[in-house]
Order: sequence, then C-alpha cells, then structure tokens
Amino acid sequence: MIRLRDVNKTYKGNVVALRDVSLDIAKQEFVFIVGPTGSGKSTMIRLLIKEEKPDSGRIWVAGKDIGQLSSWKVPLLRRNIGCVFQDFKLLPSKTAYENVAFALEVIGRPPHVIKQQVPQVLDLVGLTKKRDHFPNEMSGGEQQRVSIARAFVNRPLILLADEPTGNLDPSTSVGIMRLLDRINRTGTTVVMSTHDSSIVDTMRRRVIELDRGVIVRDQARGVYGAFT
Amino acid sequence: MAVNLEYVFRETVSNLKRNVSMASAALLTVAVSLTLVGGALLVKRGVDRATVQWKGNVELSIFMKADASQPESDAIDRQLKSMPEVKNYRYVSKPEAFEEFKKIFANEPDVRDSLTVDQIPPSYRVVPRAAEQTKIIGQRFEDTAGVFRVSYAKEEVDALVSVTNFLQIMLWAIAIVLLSAASLLILNTIRMAIFARRREVAVMKLVGATNWFIRVPFMLEGLLQGLAGAALAFGVVWVGRDLIQNRIAGARNDIQLFKQFLVTSSDVTGTGILLLIVGVVVGTVGSALAVSRFLDV
Ligand SMILES: Nc1ncnc2c1ncn2[C@@H]1O[C@H](COP(=O)(O)OP(=O)(O)OP(=O)(O)O)[C@@H](O)[C@H]1O
Ligand SMILES: [Mg+2]
Repeated sequence: MIRLRDVNKTYKGNVVALRDVSLDIAKQEFVFIVGPTGSGKSTMIRLLIKEEKPDSGRIWVAGKDIGQLSSWKVPLLRRNIGCVFQDFKLLPSKTAYENVAFALEVIGRPPHVIKQQVPQVLDLVGLTKKRDHFPNEMSGGEQQRVSIARAFVNRPLILLADEPTGNLDPSTSVGIMRLLDRINRTGTTVVMSTHDSSIVDTMRRRVIELDRGVIVRDQARGVYGAFT
Repeated sequence: MAVNLEYVFRETVSNLKRNVSMASAALLTVAVSLTLVGGALLVKRGVDRATVQWKGNVELSIFMKADASQPESDAIDRQLKSMPEVKNYRYVSKPEAFEEFKKIFANEPDVRDSLTVDQIPPSYRVVPRAAEQTKIIGQRFEDTAGVFRVSYAKEEVDALVSVTNFLQIMLWAIAIVLLSAASLLILNTIRMAIFARRREVAVMKLVGATNWFIRVPFMLEGLLQGLAGAALAFGVVWVGRDLIQNRIAGARNDIQLFKQFLVTSSDVTGTGILLLIVGVVVGTVGSALAVSRFLDV
C-alpha cells in the first residue's frame, strides 16, 4: 500500500528531516510512527500526500509512483488518503455535518450521495446528536471525531493521522484510538504518528521509530520505549 | 456539472455576503477608477472630434482694400471659382464683416464704436480641399490688385492641434495608469478575500478538490465585482456626460470651440461596453492570479 525507497528530505538551511528512509506498509496494516520532536514524522506524512517532494528516493502509494504523478493528478491521490491532524483543521463557520459534507462537495459528489454518507459516518464516530453543532460548541475529542469523520467519509484506502491525540486528555484519547482501530478493521490502512507512550503500549501494533530522520527501529507488535 | 454549479453559486453568494465590506470596497474601487478611465476616454473622443472640425475649417481670408473696386473684386471671385484646390469660399461683405466685428468686441464698446461700416474691409473666406494647399492658394493672391492682405488660420490651428495632441497623450497616460491601479486593487482585494478563507482552501486541497474547483468561485466573485463596478462607472459616466452636455448647450455665450466638443450617446455606449469588458476581464483574471498563489503549495 505504501512503499518508500531511499527517501531523503532536507529543508532549507540544511535541516535534515529524513535520511535514506525505506519502508513498506501493507494493506490493512496499523502502524505507529514514533520518535522525538523534530525526527521527521510530520515530514513523512507530508511526503505521502505530496505536500512536499523528496530530494531523492521514490515513493509509491496505492501502487502508484507519486513522484511520476503530474500535478493535476495530485487531488486524485489525496481522495484516496484521509488526513487527521493534531489541530483538527475544521472550518469554524460550518457545523459538524457541514464540515464532513464539505469534503464530499468539493470533490464533486452528488447531493444524494452526500445526504446518505454523511449521517452514516457521523453515526460511526458517535456524533449523530451533535451534527448541527459548530466546532466551538464541541469538546476537543468531539472535534477530533468530526475531523476523523471527514477524513473517512470518502472511504479512503489509507488514513494518515499526525498526532491525532496530541491535544486530548488520556481518556478522550482512548476513545479516538478505539475509533481508529475500528476504521482499521474496515480494511483501511492506518499510519499514525504519536508521542503518547501509553497508547502505543496498549495497542501493541507495528512501531517504526525515527531519530533525526533515520529509522532506528521497526518492530511488529512493538512498544513505545523499546530499544533495539 | 449541475452539482458543481449549485456549489459554485452557493459559495460565491455566501462569500460575498460574508465579506460585504471587502466586496463593496473592491466594487467601489473598480467603479471609481473605471469612471475616471471612461471620462478620460470620452474627453479624448471629444477632443478628437473637435480637432477634426478645426482641421476641416482651416481657412484663409483674403481681405480686400476698403476702397477696392467692383471689377477687382469680381476678378478674384472668378479666379477662386476656377481653382480646383479650393473646396468652397464665401464673400463676406462690408455690412456682414461689420456685424461680426461688433459681435467679437461686444464687451468693449470703445473698440466697437471706433470704426464705421465703410472702414471695414470686405473679405473672401476660402476653405481649401487639403490643409497643405492653404499656403499655395494664399500666395497667388498676395500681389493681386485690390487685395489688402492674405491671412492664414493655419498658425492658430497648428498651435491648437499641438495642444490637443499633448492633451490626448496626457489623457491616455492617465487612463492607463488608472486602469493598472484598478487591476492591482482588484487583485489585492481578491487576494485578501482568499487570505481570509485560506483555511477553507487548505481543507479543500487536503481532501482532494481540484485547483479549478477551488478557483472558480473566486473567479466568479472577482467577475461579479468587476462587472458591478464597471456598471456603476457606466452609469456615472452616462449621467455625467448628460449634465455637462446640458451645461454647454444651455450656456448663453455660444462658444464655437465648446459646441464642437461633442460626445454622442453612442460614444458613451461604446465606452461603457469597453468598461464592462475591462471590468470583467480584470476581475476574473485578477482573482485567478490571486488564487493561484495559494494553490501551488
Ligand atoms: N517547512 C519546513 N521548513 C524548514 N524546516 C522544516 C520544515 N518543516 C519541518 N522542518 C524541520 O524538519 C525537521 C523534521 O520536522 P518534522 O515536523 O517532520 O518533525 P516531527 O517528527 O513531526 O516533530 P514533532 O514531533 O515536533 O511534530 C525539524 O528539524 C523541523 O524543524
Ligand atoms: Mg510533527
């Protein structure tokens, strides 16, 4: 589903974000990316949706070499990938329902599809009652569930989550993890970066650890703080 | 496609509503600059037309001596009639010349009353077929019997034409500067509108909206602002031209110069259509350029 080969990324000012990164993530896998701050986790996620380009190396997503992808096809790539962020990135002027519907509207889905799928996914994340609330009328956990609903409403092959629990308290985080787990069980590949050791230790899924842009550990059923 | 249109119109309308103050600022900017552009173009049109008239009336006057005899006068009449270079000519008799003289110096009784009919020279007013022939025609009569003096309107017209040429260049320069200012302002206003909505643009890119899909509502917004501003400018120019034309027509002293300074309503319509096109193009292209900057990340 995702394959990186010898990927290097250096930002302006010789900041090395990723160095010689190669990895394979299979379909339906659930993968944690861990590592200290500045180790390149967000950079890896930005490369996968082609928000940034690698300096060298090749990246395949869903069987396609995205380095070969012409720029007008990038939106099509992104329709196959749902993204969730620490800061939710919801539109404050839209309700929960509208925020989720927006994601389908702007890729040209017809109204009857939108009317059918948005309530379904809101039900999945447990927000049917809050559908007409605006983001500032919801808790952080609820907002994050709206953003997961938005990422998942188009049934993407891959869900990328960059520290989705970074702003949430532990018990709310557990709820979000249950949700991501459920989404993973529907067949969606989930890649999640995190600093939250208890989550990683509880879930016991594959763990990839980055340190200063280098993969230092890749462990099936791993824990947060293990060392090779 | 029907879905997209519905979305596009809803987005455009809600954007305009949300940014009423910004949208009206852009609209008024367009209106003001295009009004000035339109005004400048119309004045230029008037100057063009007046210049043509002045040029068409380039004439020379053959003044007879006050005591010239009838045969001398008839000889000149015959000669003028036989010359192909002469388009037309007119004899201004002593009484006619006297009336004209009194009219010109109506406000200066001292001068007006200083001459009698007999002292005024009669003259032939000659309009040549081409302005360049004026001098050639005039020279033939300079030494003819009974002729007092040949005077040319050319020098005065030349001076006038050079002034109006300068004026036209000035007006074009003003029009171009104002138009660029209007374009920049539209571009900037749309840029601000997009900046205000950068979150939405970011989310749209994230979920895989195509660039054109993101661009179109902004372009429509810019188009509407440009169009509305241009329409307002059209109205102002139309009313302004009516007011000025009425002023000139109603003025007591019928100064020939201003009478010739005519701007027809088809001139105004033509200029107005130009303004509308410019408004639409500037609004649409400006917003497309402005939005592109936010799309290429
Ligand atoms: N746009 C950018 N321009 C320049 N340098 C950048 C940019 N984005 C990230 N970096 C640098 O690249 C390195 C990796 O950053 P990245 O955001 O990928 O780390 P991270 O693992 O996500 O960190 P965190 O856990 O704090 O989110 C850091 O040193 C960072 O300062
Ligand atoms: Mg990060």
